[in-house]
Amino acid sequence: MFKKNLIQEKVTNFPSYLKSWAKSFTGGLTLFCLLILGILPFLSTNEKFLRVFLPNFTLAMIFAIFAASWDLLTGISGQISFGHAIFFGISGYICAYLMKHQDFTTPPQIVLAIIIGALGAVIFGLVIGIPCLRLKGPYLALGTLAMSLILLKVFLMGSLEPWLYGSEGIYALPSLTKDPVKEYFILFISMIVSFIIIIQISKSKFGTILKSIRDDETGADASGINTTKYKVYAFLLSALFAGIAGAFYALFIGAVNPTGNFGTLNSFFAILMASLGGIASISGSAVGAFFFILVGEYFLVEVGTIEIGNLVIEIAPYKFAIFAVILMIIIRFAERGVLRPILEHLKDLWDLMLGR
Amino acid sequence: MGVILEVKNLTKKFGGLTAVNDFSFEIMRGEFVGLIGPNGAGKTTVFNLITGFEKPSSGTIRFDGIDITGKRPYKIVNLGIARTFQLVRSFKYLTLLDNITVSCLSDRGREVSKGVGVDEYASTILSSVGLVDKARIPPIILPHGDLRKLQIGKAIGTNPQMLLLDEPFSGLSFEEQLGITDLIIKLHEDGVTVFITGHVLRELMTLVPRVIAMHQGKFIADGPPQEVANNKIVLEAYLGRGERFA
Repeated sequence: MFKKNLIQEKVTNFPSYLKSWAKSFTGGLTLFCLLILGILPFLSTNEKFLRVFLPNFTLAMIFAIFAASWDLLTGISGQISFGHAIFFGISGYICAYLMKHQDFTTPPQIVLAIIIGALGAVIFGLVIGIPCLRLKGPYLALGTLAMSLILLKVFLMGSLEPWLYGSEGIYALPSLTKDPVKEYFILFISMIVSFIIIIQISKSKFGTILKSIRDDETGADASGINTTKYKVYAFLLSALFAGIAGAFYALFIGAVNPTGNFGTLNSFFAILMASLGGIASISGSAVGAFFFILVGEYFLVEVGTIEIGNLVIEIAPYKFAIFAVILMIIIRFAERGVLRPILEHLKDLWDLMLGR
Repeated sequence: MGVILEVKNLTKKFGGLTAVNDFSFEIMRGEFVGLIGPNGAGKTTVFNLITGFEKPSSGTIRFDGIDITGKRPYKIVNLGIARTFQLVRSFKYLTLLDNITVSCLSDRGREVSKGVGVDEYASTILSSVGLVDKARIPPIILPHGDLRKLQIGKAIGTNPQMLLLDEPFSGLSFEEQLGITDLIIKLHEDGVTVFITGHVLRELMTLVPRVIAMHQGKFIADGPPQEVANNKIVLEAYLGRGERFA
């Protein structure tokens, strides 16, 4: 009952609610960033810009959704997952299978394939969530990690190749659009919608219950909350968004294979991105994802070398070492992530400028 | 009136140690009962067994005519037994208001807050425990006394018929104890059955009309506080046998 009232209130007050949000510091900053992302594709018609630079942003948006889904499960609900690639991969495989082997080739069919893929991830989340959620803390982390490694091995198995397509996976997938700008905007809108939903979930009463389970599960139980039920819900919601990201990733790459989709690295990417932005800060995940992909994919791989006088150092091979060091520095010195402290300083500056 | 809580032959063994041994008692609706005993007597274990945080080795617990033996904690809370913990627990990154809101989102909490709305109901509870001016801060920066109040607020949020308070005074100054005492008395006047533990006799003696005493997991006495305090076995439990020093 009360939920309905609250939603009604929000809907009727929507314009004023939006206005006050836009005028607030975080709201204004978010809008500013979205505006920049919105006009970015029109800044240049250069072939390299469209084929290399822009797709990196598209990829960053896919990973932003993925990192946010991890943050919903781990940062908001406190259920540590080290195997988020499970949902990412399952959904990608289902989506790829439908497109390649069931002739889902027209755009509406591809959208349907994405939805089915994401729902497949949710169902899979239910199947592994119920046994895994009996584990707590580091044991859950290990359980999910083990599960993702098992899946990786199963999909690599030669004897299962007729059904799971072996180590080569499924390739030469049809794409939603050949135009990188269109692809960019499809992801841009999907990302905004996903983030609005995830942020609203974390701010809702449901989100409050999830956070209470994160802070003190026994205490939540003593407050009359069916913790198992809510943990499963969190698992499923997280699987849904990880699944959406996974399906888009399969589409983006145009192929799926065990290491690319189920690889443990994907799970760690999500963790790294979310921690860069600050755990339990959903919008931080987006910042982390953009930073990680743009720095990692573009500057380190495309630019690739540092020249100091005659000495040319290739940095691409050390990409992961560089990120490992960054992660260690974050864990040691900025456990809240980098986004929130920066935002706070910016806000102080902003207030100073406005003379508040 | 009538029996609200009936505990029969309750036993809990941890490996070789029998923490609660064949313990039986009854509490009437609307009563105000204390559970006393020296440190390690098994008071907290009795509470954990009643509220489902531990499963009994044997024996039955009936609440309001329903067998609740071994049920999961949240189910027991939703039948109407709320508890506080000896070591304070809180949702440390949520605001005080949200700490209480979580309880108000339990089945019984939702039912009672239907008319006014959860937020409104939660802030009413927060003001009744005297923390309304701190509604927007997280509990990590609260002093111990306020945390104890918050715990009671969280328990009230589930709209309990019966409240189990585990050592609500431990670690509090005299003034803080008075505040909590007033709160508990008011709750009892509102019709909540209160069951309270304490290992310091003096605190409970003036508060409750009836105490149950236990020692080494066993029932030793039941009655008005003065009578129990003068009971020879109770004195021995607290002070040891006189002969030893003779």
